[in-house]
Amino acid sequence: MDRYIRNIYKGVYTVLVGMRITIRQFFEPNVTHQYPYEHDFEKKRNVREIPKGYRGQLYNRIEDCIGCKKCELICPVDCITITGDKLPKGEQLWDSMNVIHLKDGREIIGLIEGEDKKLNLDEEMTVTNITSRQGPQEVVDRLEQSGDESRTQTISGSEVSRVVTRNPVVFYLDQFDIDMSLCMYCGLCTEVCPTECLTMIDTLEGIEYSKFDRTDLIFNFDKQEMYGKDEAETEEAAD
Amino acid sequence: MSDFFSDGFFNNINLQDSSNWATDFVQDVIIPRLPEAVAGHFPMELGTVLVMLAFAGIFVAVVPLLPLVLVLAERKVAARFQNRTGPMRVGPWGTLQTLADGVKLIFKEDFIPPQGDKVLFLLAPYVIFACSFAVFAAIPFGDGIPIPGDFNIGIFYIMAISSVIVMGVIMAGWSSNSKWSLLGSLRSAAQIVSYEIPLGLSILTVVMLVESLSMSKIVDTQSGGIFTWLIFRSPFTFIAFFIFFISSIAEVNRTPFDLPEAESEIVAGFHTEYSGMRFALFFIAEYANMFAVSAIGVTLFLGGWQGVLPGFDFLGGFPGFVIKTLGLVFLMMWLRWTLPRLRVDQLMNLCWKYFIPISFFNILGTGIWGLIFKEDNVWSIGISCAIIYVGLISAYAIAGRNLARRPEPQPS
Repeated sequence: MDRYIRNIYKGVYTVLVGMRITIRQFFEPNVTHQYPYEHDFEKKRNVREIPKGYRGQLYNRIEDCIGCKKCELICPVDCITITGDKLPKGEQLWDSMNVIHLKDGREIIGLIEGEDKKLNLDEEMTVTNITSRQGPQEVVDRLEQSGDESRTQTISGSEVSRVVTRNPVVFYLDQFDIDMSLCMYCGLCTEVCPTECLTMIDTLEGIEYSKFDRTDLIFNFDKQEMYGKDEAETEEAAD
Repeated sequence: MSDFFSDGFFNNINLQDSSNWATDFVQDVIIPRLPEAVAGHFPMELGTVLVMLAFAGIFVAVVPLLPLVLVLAERKVAARFQNRTGPMRVGPWGTLQTLADGVKLIFKEDFIPPQGDKVLFLLAPYVIFACSFAVFAAIPFGDGIPIPGDFNIGIFYIMAISSVIVMGVIMAGWSSNSKWSLLGSLRSAAQIVSYEIPLGLSILTVVMLVESLSMSKIVDTQSGGIFTWLIFRSPFTFIAFFIFFISSIAEVNRTPFDLPEAESEIVAGFHTEYSGMRFALFFIAEYANMFAVSAIGVTLFLGGWQGVLPGFDFLGGFPGFVIKTLGLVFLMMWLRWTLPRLRVDQLMNLCWKYFIPISFFNILGTGIWGLIFKEDNVWSIGISCAIIYVGLISAYAIAGRNLARRPEPQPS
């Protein structure tokens, strides 16, 4: 009889303990993340931001690309296709130029006057012939608004973080296609890239790029656009 | 206890009562609106039958909407218990999810196992469906809402008709020609038949106090606010309520008593082989049953559509009834996400060794209570509430300290 009553007591008691635990959970905030509709990473618990160096979609900054085809060679799944060749001797797409990386993250592409001298970052430097079509949007906008005069700019050396000299481009790329439906995100191509122009986007845009059509996953990064004018002329000539 | 024990139980069943409201409806509402030439010759019997059919049509239309709400509520509540949000995509906050699921089920193939018993297979869902509908006929939903089946044996009728569900379950299990289905249906039969006993016995305590089986009379006696609700009328009905509630969970095959549908053991139990609309019928019946059982619990123990305070309408009338019923439904869901499933022997142990003896003790106690307090008055209700209060406190404080800390005896 003692055991019988104790059983009843324990049955009721344990059920109530369990119910107390579950009802507490009932009023807890939910942890569900309405993912495609909601990108508010910081408001939700247990969701970190996308870490730096996340291997997302491949992006090639074609202005820096030298067409060495190392990425095409190393790719384990052959998702990169590059066709292109050297230009005839003596021709070049553009002259050598300097890429000046500023400390605030912007970059300016142009020619530093007196380039032959050794660069002295303590002095001011004058950059001429700025053609930053691939720089940060603000630089591009500013250049387009103010005419040719602003293509020369004086920058104090303390602002500059580093300067890269780009050789004259003596080749053309007909095709630089990356098939992201094949890519296995190993990142080998970004490691071998000598100019570090092939990168993986570690922001949201590099993660969410699903498409309805598989062919839309083939991204073209060719230089057609850059020498489009010349090509149009040659086409006319051909006609 | 005079009116049905004295002279012949079955001679006294007053089925004539049940058509009175329909006759009244025809006389008061329909005939005055007819043109005079027709009104004189209006066939009373036909009109009565038509009115009854119309009300039945309302039930048939409304009751499937219950699962529509309850399934969504179940999923949302389950999600809340697990810190999720539940369905969110179809409609605002996923409110149309069940509708989408229903449409999907309608368009699915209606598979009939070729080796099974085809007639029984086709019939079984309708048996269960019809029975769970018929229960709604005798439930008093609110003040002034006509009860289609207002018999003087209302609760007896409900018990009887809800027992027929077992027939449907066994038919479904047998005719599927599947071991899972058969095992599920046999488990279900054993469980429902077993738990019908404590269910009936705990209903009996109420019937003994009210001295009537009529649902409307049971509600009428609880009209004096929360302390005249039958759950507080005597300490024994207080215990009986919990036995009734737990037994009714077992009766509708819900967790922790969902052995007939134990997914990990027998797939989906008796409706393993069903698909499409027939499966949806089982689903609707299950949730309609859940609502019906909660509604019966509210009617018998929690005042039915009577309010909390005698003078005010708070938690009274039809909305109050629905709120109380949904409260019990929520309690069922709460238990579902708290407790793991019982083993078969534990299930039977709980029923036969605990609920049935306690129910008999309840009946004895209620009888003595009824002899001591011939009529319900302030004294009887006061003493009853005091006993419940002291009992709960002592169970929590004294018994808890003594019983919980003693070590478990070694199994002999």
